[in-house]
Amino acid sequence: MPKYNLMIRYLNLVSIFSILILTLPTIAAQASSDGSGGDSLCFLPILIFGFLAVIFSLIWGLMYPTLLIWGLMFSGKNLDKMIINTNEREQLVISKFGKDTLSNIDGGFRKDVTSSGIVWAGAVYGPSHWHLLRGFINNIFGGSIDIFQKVISAGRAESMQRLREIAMEEGWDEVINVRIDTSPMTPASHKKGLKAVEIFAYGTGIKYN
Amino acid sequence: MVQQIQGIIVVNTETIPGKLITESLGVVSGSTVRAKNIGRDFTQGLKNILGGELHKYTELLEESRAEALSRMVSDAMSRGANAIVNVRFATSAVTAGAAELFAYGTAVKIE
Repeated sequence: MPKYNLMIRYLNLVSIFSILILTLPTIAAQASSDGSGGDSLCFLPILIFGFLAVIFSLIWGLMYPTLLIWGLMFSGKNLDKMIINTNEREQLVISKFGKDTLSNIDGGFRKDVTSSGIVWAGAVYGPSHWHLLRGFINNIFGGSIDIFQKVISAGRAESMQRLREIAMEEGWDEVINVRIDTSPMTPASHKKGLKAVEIFAYGTGIKYN
Repeated sequence: MVQQIQGIIVVNTETIPGKLITESLGVVSGSTVRAKNIGRDFTQGLKNILGGELHKYTELLEESRAEALSRMVSDAMSRGANAIVNVRFATSAVTAGAAELFAYGTAVKIE
């Protein structure tokens, strides 16, 4: 699990900087006792930097579990809320036009098109680290990992809905030849980094009389 | 929108509905690699722990895509085209927090 590696790395950081902080004053004291008293001042930036790093890693060490528990409590609810919200907006647009404005057929059959142009919309979505943990446990037993599927399809519905709204704002009657791309934000070979996918939908907006 | 500012029709269908293509001028492309600053990366990393949408990265990709598209359009204008058909987008993640956006299509002349 990349998460635990991260935790261990931060704990290492804490211990290294604590050792530095403990040893540096003695080195400085030795340097000053040698007769070159003014030189001890040059350790001050290193000391301050080490001190800040220790404080930062302590805050992070406290914050990460808090955020993970926060995600445990609220990320599922937020996901459900988002799916309901997207659905409602979708119904609004569909009821306004009387049909779904997106289609992925080529518009060659239509002869009364007056103007056309490209429209696009995208959204970056990621599962929370609590969801990642659940997905990891699911991954051990195999089978379908429903939680990732839920997050990604929610993101896809959202970006398609944005395409509908943008097309409506720009005054297009219909969007044809819609393509949907999904790409990870972090390369799959990277262990750490953002765990999110970008879902990008584009198509050709047409106007007809 | 890019194509309305530059006066060039950009579509991702093979033909332009209602227009006749007279000449093909080859493949035109535009690409860009962009990143957000380190502060944004940090806050979005925190947001990623909680899950959900990362608005700053959505914004970043939107901006970069517009830039890639406008580069493609200026490439087509330098060839004397007045439309681009069959436009496709490709995305590749270079490292965490930076992305390459690539847009390509065929520059054509229409009546």
